[in-house]
This record gives sequence, structure tokens and C-alpha cells, in this order.
Amino acid sequence: MIPSPSVRRGVRAAAAAAALAAVAACGGGGSGSTTTTTYVDANTYSAAAGASLSTPNENTAVTHRSLTLNGTAIAYTATAGHLSALSSSQAPEASIFYVAYTADGAAAATRPVTFFFNGGPGSATAWLHLGSFAPRRLVTGVPATTQALPFPYVDNAESLIDTSDLVFVDAVGTGLSEAIAPNTNQTWWGVDQDAAVLRDFVQRWLGVNGRTAAPLFLYGESYGTTRVPVLTRLLETAGRRVNGVVELSSILDYNSNCSVEGGAPTVDCAGFLPSYSAVGSWYHLATAVASDSDADIATVTRYADSTYAPDAATWLASGALPPADHVAALAAFTGLSAAIWDQRFDMDYDTFRHHLIANTTLGVYDGRVSALVGSPLDAADEPSNSFVEPGFTAAIKTVLPDELGFTTPSTYVLSSDAIDTWNFSHNGRSMPDVVPDLSAALSLDPSLKILFLGGHHDLITPFHQTELDVARLPAGAPVTLHFHPGGHMTYLDDGSRPLMKAELVAFYASATGAP
Amino acid sequence: MRATTLFMTLWATATLAQAAPHLDPGAPPLATQQAAQAENRARPASVGATLQSDAERALRASFDAADTAHRGTLSREEAQAGGFGWIANHFDAIDTRRAGRVSFDDVKRYLALRDAGTATK
Repeated sequence: MIPSPSVRRGVRAAAAAAALAAVAACGGGGSGSTTTTTYVDANTYSAAAGASLSTPNENTAVTHRSLTLNGTAIAYTATAGHLSALSSSQAPEASIFYVAYTADGAAAATRPVTFFFNGGPGSATAWLHLGSFAPRRLVTGVPATTQALPFPYVDNAESLIDTSDLVFVDAVGTGLSEAIAPNTNQTWWGVDQDAAVLRDFVQRWLGVNGRTAAPLFLYGESYGTTRVPVLTRLLETAGRRVNGVVELSSILDYNSNCSVEGGAPTVDCAGFLPSYSAVGSWYHLATAVASDSDADIATVTRYADSTYAPDAATWLASGALPPADHVAALAAFTGLSAAIWDQRFDMDYDTFRHHLIANTTLGVYDGRVSALVGSPLDAADEPSNSFVEPGFTAAIKTVLPDELGFTTPSTYVLSSDAIDTWNFSHNGRSMPDVVPDLSAALSLDPSLKILFLGGHHDLITPFHQTELDVARLPAGAPVTLHFHPGGHMTYLDDGSRPLMKAELVAFYASATGAP
Repeated sequence: MRATTLFMTLWATATLAQAAPHLDPGAPPLATQQAAQAENRARPASVGATLQSDAERALRASFDAADTAHRGTLSREEAQAGGFGWIANHFDAIDTRRAGRVSFDDVKRYLALRDAGTATK
């Protein structure tokens, strides 16, 4: 059956109506009764740059479930479908696909709403949706690579549904989101354009769902941490208060991240050294540190700032290496041989991850995941992604129809080519620096709070680079930083996900206090 | 410089691997990186007053976008309609002269006064 938009608008009051739903399906998770109102979307959504949708709809599939957390059953509604982002003159901009998990019977004005965004640019939000804090999640067992496909999809003991409603949003030209004619996907493929259309989506979702008064949180991962500060500034500028921003595995300034540089390097990699050390200690190759304990990380971080950063700047400027004992110290902190440091003193992650262990490739996203050169897991030169991506790609194809009741002939695009034609220019720079966006948002709204999360073993957005970028904000800025064992998708680590959940709960409490 | 030769070898090792999926975050095209490198030499990462100036640049762009008549000032209604609802929400506090229109300098003055008030709490 095809529900009318009023069904979607009524979901918050739909607990009683659930029993009357025309279509009932059995739940797969053993978490109480499940009823689903399915929707078959005949549109063919495209992630191509020139694609342009002429027949948008706002129909949804609606599922009612329950999750028990700490002994308390939370009845919730999952809503999957599209909603159009509209310009200030009500012109349709893009048909945005989202999956919203909303607790039944909660107070619309005080219950927080969190919008989640993966990055890329060009990456769909299936990673956060299926792997992090939704009521159900995929089991990966990372950093082990032994979990067989398909990844089990289980009730999530660390779900944030006890704290906030959760809306997972696919950016234009990812997942099942597409620009509405006369716009094309390319219209929204830029730092500023993307944030503007997502601002309009967030405003529309809040309005349509009666949540304009709700505390608002934005959660970005990877390029999503570039996207969310711009989006936050635009929402605050528009007069919509944002209570809290969560930045997981951040790239706040492309100009300071040495991994962005594919040509002649100019930026020192001091922000990466503590991550190299954490990975080296994971393989028991580092001799100056035993682990990624707080104390060991503090030691190597001090060395990175005090000694390695100026040494690397000298090498970049003149090619001159520091005294041999400095090189020896780097070898001891990381386990990477002094000979390699001598050759590439400003150490990029590709050199590090290909030379730490002979004949072995380490993951970019999680340096703890490794593969022998030439082995199947090494086929794409990125073993940590190669291990999880097939499981997520397969899961979104079954979760949407089987768990959420949303069926479409379209292909859900986990990774599009948006980055190839993305407009990276922003605020007078060719590559984005969004620290000023955070600064501007804090200027408009001093009660805004920001939480930075990340993994010690992430080699692409290293945690110390985040610390260095965040340190540009004025002293006393309302920021909190927590880093844990794990990779770029830190929530995949079964030890770190519960820690992050507790930190998120504390953060939401602090950010929803009186302004 | 002994650093250079093997570096080139290492680089080739890294880039000759099989085509990988798009990274996230992925790097902009090389030409964009090189343009940024040139800019960064003239304009390093901003802190303190220059960070505030960068933040103001972003806000001013939104102000100018709302100022479709190019008058240099906004009424409450123009601010609201032009995407700068924050100005509309704080209009009376910003428009201390009761002119019915505010400039970007009025906005900056309001923020500075508010921050000074916050600082003395």
C-alpha cells in the first residue's frame, strides 16, 4: 500500500494506529512486535552529475519496533523515504532520502533531533546508519577480519535512541538522493551548495514533523565534519539554533592535513605522528611506547609538537634531515625503520602503511587491519575498507526493503563520483577551512557546544591533527574531545562504541541545558 | 639530496597499486591542491584576530546575499526573507538607533557588546 504524506506526518502519534496498520510483518530481531507500512517507490534515482529528477515524491515506509536498553523498552518508529529540500521561495531543490528513528510518545519540543551525515564528498550515510547508533546495527568485529558475510544485523545496545531522535540523511547524489529539475546533482556538489541544500532539508524536516522547537544536533563523519560546520553556520545564520555538533574523524582544514597533498608536499605531518605510534604499538613494533594509552599518546604528542614539527618543516623547506638521534626517536615511537624516515621525513600515511611491515598493507581507515600484499583483502590497496564495504553494500540492499519496508528499483549508491567534480572552494580559499565556520556559529550562538570524537588508529583524519585545528579556536571555546582505540569509523570497535555512547549522552545533557 | 631518490620510488609504490575506491575524505584534484598551496603561503591558517576576520567574512557573505538591493543595510523583513533570520531575531538589539535598518557593522557592534557583557558575567 502507498501511504499518503499525512501518514508520515502522523507518525509521532501513530503508536495506537500501529495496531491497525494494514500490513504487518514479523520482526527479524526478536525485539518485540513489528508492524510495517511498506512503500514501493517507482522512481529511478541517479547519482550521476547531470542527473535531475522530475517526479519527486514524499511518500514513506513506516515501521514500528521496540528496543530494550538497560531494561527499558523504547517503542520507536522508523520512517524511510524522501523529503524535498525547498528554497526560501519554496522552489524544489533536491529530493533527499532519509531514514528517521523517532521514539514514540516523546515531547516534540524537548526531545532532541540529530541529523547524521557521512562524507566523501560522495559517500552515502549508510555507514553511520547501519554501523553506529541507530536502534539496530551491523556486527563487523573490526579490527578482526574473521566475521563472515552477511554481517549480522542486531539490536544495538549502544543506540542513541534513548537520548535523541535520529535522522540519517543522504547528501545529493548519494544513496537515493537526487536533485530536482531544473537543478542537477552537480548544482549541489560544492562545499557551500551542499550545506545550503542540507540546511533547507533540515529546516523542512523539522517543520513537516512538528519539531521546530526541538533541540537540534548535527553529527558528521569524515567529509561530514567539513559539511556540518558550514551547515551549522548556515542554520544559525537562518535563525535556527543548533544545540550541539558532533564531529567524528574530523577534517576541519584541508590545508593543514598533509594527507591531502598528492604533489610536492608543503605541510608537516606532525598531526599524524601519534596515530603512526598507536599503529606501531598495536603491532608491537614501537619500542618507545607500549600501547595507545593516554600516557603514551601524551608522550608522543609532545614529541610531535616540540621536535618533529620543526624538524619536518626544515626538511620540507631544504631537504635537510635532523640529527640522527631525532630520526632514531621517530623509529622508536613508530616501529618504522630509520631508513624509511630518512627517505620521506615528512611521513605521509601511504608510505607509513606500506612500509611498517614488510610485504604488508595496512588500512587507511584502520591501521590495525592488515593484509599481505597480493592477498584478496589487499586487492584495492585498502584492507580495512575492503573488509567492511561488501557487508555494508549488501546490508543496505536488504535492510531498506526487509526491515524498513522501502522498496525501489533504484540502486542505493554507497559511493558516487561527486568528488571528481566537487567545488571545494570555500570562504576565499581553494580548499575548505571550516574552523572559521565554527567560530562564526559560536559567535552567533555562544551556547552552541561541539564534541570531537575519533580513533587512535585512523590514518586519514588523525586525531592529533584535529587537536591542532581545534586549538585555533579561542581559549574557552565550548569544545570537548575524546579519542579511543579504533579507526575512522570508530564506532565499529566493540570496546570503543560503549565509551562513545556514554560521552554522547553526557554531551547531549550539557548541550540541552539552559542556554 | 639523498632524501629525494628513494622517495620517488616509495611514491611510485603507493600510487601504482590497483585502483582503490574513493577515499573519504578524498583529496581535491591536484590543480586545486596546488592553488591552495600558493594561497596558504600568503595566508596561513588563521588564529585570533585573523580567525575572527575569516569568520566575519563568512557572515558578511550571507549579509550581502540577503542584501539583494545592495543598500548596505537590511530591514528585519529583508533579513528574514534573505536567509539571515538571526538578524531578524535580534533586530531590536542590533538596531540601537531605531533606524529600521541595520548594517553589517551594526551586527559586529552588537556581537562585540554582547561578548563584552558575557565576559563580565
